[in-house]
Amino acid sequence: MVYQTWWKALGVVLLVYTFIAGLLIPLKPGISSVHPSNAATGEEVVLEINGYNTLFTRSGEEVRAWLKMDDAYALGASGVEIVDDQHIRARFYIPAFLPDSGRVRDFTLLLDDPFNGACVLPSAVFITQDSIDPAMGKAQWVNAPIKGLHANDGLSFPFRNILKESIRNTYFHVPLWFAMVFLFLFSVGYSVRYLRTGTHDNDRRAHALAVGGVLFGMMGLVTGAIWAKNTWGAYWSWDVKQNMTAIALLIYFAYFILRGSFEDPEKRARLAAVYNLFAFVALIPLIYVIPRLTDSLHPGSGGNPAFGSDDLDNTMRMVFYPAILGWTLLGFWIASVVYRMERLRDRVLEFY
Amino acid sequence: MTNLFQRSVFLFFLLLSASCLSAQTNDPDFMQSVGKIYVAVGVILAIFAVIVLFLIYLDRKLTKLENQIKDHE
Repeated sequence: MVYQTWWKALGVVLLVYTFIAGLLIPLKPGISSVHPSNAATGEEVVLEINGYNTLFTRSGEEVRAWLKMDDAYALGASGVEIVDDQHIRARFYIPAFLPDSGRVRDFTLLLDDPFNGACVLPSAVFITQDSIDPAMGKAQWVNAPIKGLHANDGLSFPFRNILKESIRNTYFHVPLWFAMVFLFLFSVGYSVRYLRTGTHDNDRRAHALAVGGVLFGMMGLVTGAIWAKNTWGAYWSWDVKQNMTAIALLIYFAYFILRGSFEDPEKRARLAAVYNLFAFVALIPLIYVIPRLTDSLHPGSGGNPAFGSDDLDNTMRMVFYPAILGWTLLGFWIASVVYRMERLRDRVLEFY
Repeated sequence: MTNLFQRSVFLFFLLLSASCLSAQTNDPDFMQSVGKIYVAVGVILAIFAVIVLFLIYLDRKLTKLENQIKDHE
């Protein structure tokens, strides 16, 4: 297996596909910003809306706009003016009272036309009311039901207002962690095999796979930090997921130090194998269990299921699953090169 | 000779990655206008930099091994 080429070639092909599809498929049209973002009751407001990847001039002048409070109440625009492909103006008459007892309410902006499909910007506009009277608000409210929304059928990735184009990191950050776990899993498998058989080659394989795993873990941390800077606001937010993965990697660093500190090959291999078992047993709760038990910024934590329909759609799956396999195969290739080099060294030194 | 070459390559990529990271964050408005595509660019460059650093590490280990063989000859 180590010397065969087909799986290395497969990994490269899958990664080339990941890079091309992951970087070139466009995002769905979306709303990048709205001005003004504040309004008061009883006034007329004209919203300047900036679209992202939108082609408003091709909408056939059929753009509809709503300010949505909740599932029951939505306000329809009295007029929509198309400025250019990325800009429209929507005019809203806000009633004197809101059908809500809060002083300030956030409204979701919703656009729809046959060409671009439906676009949503959550908490786009905050409407303030001076006098609070929910009953009057309900009576006065001119409800515009949101009906007949269009879908955008083109090949595209979802538009998320916080992520925007960085949603593509799903194929360049997340699969690194999958690859790391697979590498560590095979590494601990060879460690178990060493403990059962005592064959030195198994220890060498376990070590090479752990090197690959730590390499991918470090890439995962660095890429995660860059993504975090642009979505959470800081490279390192001391988030539970970041902390626990860093601890897991430190445990694996100790594996290399431990393995390097014994002269006797027999002793070194046995202690390294036992420690590798411990490291893997610690890894799983550190990266998969503890972050899910507490609140975290990271998806897949605190009752926030990662890889639900919010995070991945079918177009993304078409790239995401090949990306996991591609990065994993690249990891095994790197580990196999390390293994071959170590074996060569052992043989050469034995020979002399 | 190789040592000097390795060090300059190492430094070059360290500086490259550092400058990419800082260029990304200097201007948040610019980031918004291009839809945060530079976050993806930064992430891919970071992966590239780590793989290059790993290549340098492998290269050094191989050089050491080659020198050991040469010493015995």
